[in-house]
Order: sequence, then structure tokens, then C-alpha cells
Amino acid sequence: MPISEQGYSHWTGTFVERRLPWWPITRLGIRMAFKRKFFKFAFAISFLPAFIFAAGIYISERLEDFQFMLRGRRGSTSFLEVNPAYFKSYFGGDFLLFMMVMIMVLAGAGLIADDLKSNSLQLYFSRPIRKRDYILGKMSTLAFFLLLYTLVPGVLFILLKFLFAGSFKLVANYPWIPLAVLLDSLLLTLFFSFYTLLLSSLSRNRRYTAILLFLVYLFSDIFFGIFYGIFRKPGFCLLSIKANLQQVAAALFRVKPPFDVPWIYSLLILAAIGLACGAVLVRKTRGVEVIT
Amino acid sequence: MNIELKDLRFNYGKIVALAGVDLSLGEGACGLLGPNGAGKSTLLRILLGFLKPDRGEGRVLGYDIRRDPFAIRRLVGYMPEDDCLIPGMDAVTFTAYFGELSGMPRQEAMKRAHDVLFYVGLGEARYRSLETYSAGMKQRLKLAQALVHDPKLLFLDEPTSNLDPQGRTEVLDLIKDISSKKDISVLISSHILTDIEYTCTYVVILNQGKVAAQGDIEALKEIRFSLFEIKTKGESGSFLRALRDRGCKVEETEDQILKVYMPADMPRREIFEAAVRENVQIRMFLKSRTSLEDLFARTVGVD
Repeated sequence: MPISEQGYSHWTGTFVERRLPWWPITRLGIRMAFKRKFFKFAFAISFLPAFIFAAGIYISERLEDFQFMLRGRRGSTSFLEVNPAYFKSYFGGDFLLFMMVMIMVLAGAGLIADDLKSNSLQLYFSRPIRKRDYILGKMSTLAFFLLLYTLVPGVLFILLKFLFAGSFKLVANYPWIPLAVLLDSLLLTLFFSFYTLLLSSLSRNRRYTAILLFLVYLFSDIFFGIFYGIFRKPGFCLLSIKANLQQVAAALFRVKPPFDVPWIYSLLILAAIGLACGAVLVRKTRGVEVIT
Repeated sequence: MNIELKDLRFNYGKIVALAGVDLSLGEGACGLLGPNGAGKSTLLRILLGFLKPDRGEGRVLGYDIRRDPFAIRRLVGYMPEDDCLIPGMDAVTFTAYFGELSGMPRQEAMKRAHDVLFYVGLGEARYRSLETYSAGMKQRLKLAQALVHDPKLLFLDEPTSNLDPQGRTEVLDLIKDISSKKDISVLISSHILTDIEYTCTYVVILNQGKVAAQGDIEALKEIRFSLFEIKTKGESGSFLRALRDRGCKVEETEDQILKVYMPADMPRREIFEAAVRENVQIRMFLKSRTSLEDLFARTVGVD
């Protein structure tokens, strides 16, 4: 292959100071995620709960048209009532949480693991970007997907309810719902982002990371089930990532938590996991591996 | 001055990596030589701000290595030794991506990526997936990402590792072109002495974390020692001992020629005096051309 097919010319432009220096990293992360096998399928499937809940909001306002669905509960007023419990069912739903883990497996497992494997961290840090920019860039990739499944549907549900009901009764009756949607979305996003990036930074192999992501989530719930089955103590719900997320979601939407354990414990556990993940991440991401 | 270092020290725990490096490098191409563990890579990492020195001061392109690492990184291009290409990308996206991370506007980074890929000879292959690249193409791509933001100074870490002879020559030609015609200074860390001799006019030899020698390659070869090739007749064992006692390093080649490295201050007459004393005839006495290899071997004390 011939060298210097075209002469070298100096670049005459000027460097820009980006307000969000991590944005190119985020953009690449999102682009690369869509190149992965099965990702588009998982991405689409994960919107299924949102579509079902959105349909539920429509049906809740047209109950008379859907009487045939009620069977033995004709005249029931509690059927498909859009209230905080309805939102909590969406945000704490097993399927949604599971699909979020799947999205993390497909889009997040390799975010740092691939960079470690390909030794490209040194290329990042030979550029004028800070460690926090790198981590923020990777986190924002995950946040993009997670917020698409949490905050965006949450806000849409509220808007759809306004639209179909023709009134603001939902917010008038339950004024904390918008804030709860925002806070629970942020909690889910932050927790899953830290959780994914931590596991991604622990291995150079995205497959191991993917397996870890899945198994830690799954086994934490299995252990809870085993201990709860043996000892019948709800406190064991603190062992489960899923149960902790559901406990906090219930508290934020002001509905009865699924387990008789103070929700603040769940929040503290999630926060502790998040902090530990953050601390490990900061140590693991650097331009060169220093072994002393 | 591009690089100025004063008493730079760095330890990995108890292991001393740099034990007080003093260095002043101007423009042009400079080779960084040294045996394994001499501190070459550590020095590059400190210059890039990956590692903070334990002691000492340093400036790269006028910016302090402790206080302004980001300003330095904007003006410096770095080509690492390891394979560091992100899988799943093509060369244009890869190069433009790192241009953008250097602070270039997105569209200009993309345009510039095309230009530098053509320059390094990857124009035709720029849309191919990086996984399909050969070792030579990967080296060129690493060079392209280092050049994309038009740096003032290039750090090249073993730029010809894993290359076949032809690929090596092509990459060396590129480096020579960059350093001699494009106003970009180059610091090359390499084990391959002929690469340094081919591309650089100035050399820094590191040994045990210190600068063992630095200067213009030709001048260093002249000043530091004289190399003579001698052929003798008679029992040469005592003659060799006598030369070594006078501070000469002597090697015997397969065809019985003695290569004698004489200290710069030693008059050549002493060789003949020793030969007379030890009853040895000198049949051939030639001043040999010294190579960088000779200089390196002499400086760091290895064969």
C-alpha cells in the first residue's frame, strides 16, 4: 500500500472547549450498542411494559367501552385506576427490571471491559479529558437507555392521563407523582449505571461481565427467596437488588411497600452499593496500570 | 525548548523507575533508548500526565507537567506500543472520535480523519472494520490517531514493533517525513537501534532511571569513545588483559579480529606500547566506524 498518497497538511481550525466533554463518548457508546446482535430486539421488547401501561391509561378513561374485559368485576371502580400504585407497578415491575438488566448486559457490559481489553484507556487519557469525563461519558450511555424506560414513559403516562381524562385530576389528587417519577427514574438509572460500570471495570472480558451482571441480580433474588422461605423473615428482602428497588419505589409513590421492612434500609443499601461501585470505578479507570 | 526536565524522580513502590532525570530537548526527531526497565515508558507516561512524578520539575511545550497536563495533551500526539484499537469501529470513526476528544469540532474531526488516513496510506481501507486490519495497518492507524489533531509534538512508543521489514520501512519513512518536513517534533522510544539511527538526529540513552548519554548521534559516537579493529599475531591473552587494565573494552570477533573500544582520553600509542611489552605483533590497525549499537553497548554496559 503506498505511503503518503496525499501530503500532510496542518489543521488550521481551533479547538473548542466543550461544555460536555464526555458527550462524544456517550454518542459512541449508544451507536456501538445498536451494532450489537439482539440489542435492537431487546431494546424494542423493553418498551412492552410501557405500551401496556399506556394502553391501560387509555382503557381506564374508556371503561364503558371495555366492559367486556371486566367479566366478574363489572361496576368495579378499582379496575385500572391510575393512581400511585399504578405507577409503582410500572416502576417496580419484575419484567421492566429484568429487561433493564438485559439492556445493561447487551449495551453496558463491554463499556469499560472492551476498553480494558483493547488497552484503549491510554488513548482516552492521552487526550484532554479527565477521569470523571470518561466515567460520565460511559454512565450517560447507560442513562440514555435507562431513562428511556423510566423517566420518558413516566412523564408520558402523566401526559396521556391528562390528555385522555381532559383534566389535571391525577396531579391534583396525587401531587407527589411527578416528583416520584423523577426520583425513582433517577434512582434506577444511577443504581444500574454504577452497578454495570463497576462490573464492566472488573473484567477485560465483556462476556464475564455480562454473566456477572445477570447472575448477581438473579442470585441476590434467589438467595432472598431461599432465606425467606426458610426463616419467614421479611428482613431478608434486603439481600435482593430487585426487592430493594421495589421497596424504594413503593416509598416514593407512597404506597404500601411489598415487604414489612423500613424502606430507608433498602435505600441505604442501594446507596452503599452505588458508592462502593463509584469508588472502585475511580480506582480502576486510569491511563496506565500501576503495579507496585 | 520542547521538553525540559529537572531532577525528575519516580518510584513504583520500592522500585526506582526514574532516579533524577535532567533533560532538554529541542525540535526535530529524538530517540529515547535504553534497556528494559531503564525508565523510557515511565518517562513518556509522566510527560503525558498519566503518572505524577515523586520529585522534580518538567515542562512540555512550555506547560508544566504537574499543573497543565490537559494543555500538554491537546498539543501532543501519542502512539502507544500496545494494540489499542476499539473493536467494532472503522478507521474513519476511530480517528475522528479521538480528534473530537482532543477538542476538535465534530465535522472538522471527521474531515481531518480522512486526510490523515490518506496520509498514512489507509485511504482505501478507511471504512473497513478494524478487526480485519493487519499489524502494519494497525500501526499506521495508531499513527493517524496521534496525528489527527495536528500535534506539535509526537510521542511514539515502539512504532515499528510487530512489523515486517517492508512495513517497518514504510512506517519509518512516514516518521522521517513528519519530523523533517512537517514541523512536528518527534520523541521515539524504541529498542530497535537502527530505527532510531534512521529517523533521529538526537538521542537520549536512559539506563537505570538516569540519562546515561544524550546528544547529537554523530557527535556522541565521536566523542565518547574510539573504536579500533586490530589483528594480532602471537599469544594475545596477556595483551588483552593489558588493554582491559587500561580501561578498554575488548571484543573478539569470529574471524579473530579484536574490536577495541578506547576511552576518549586514551592515546592510541598505548595500544602499541602494550603490544611491544606483551610480545604481540599488530598486523592490522583500523579505526572503525562506530554505530549507534556500539554507542549503546558502551553506554549501558551490555554487549
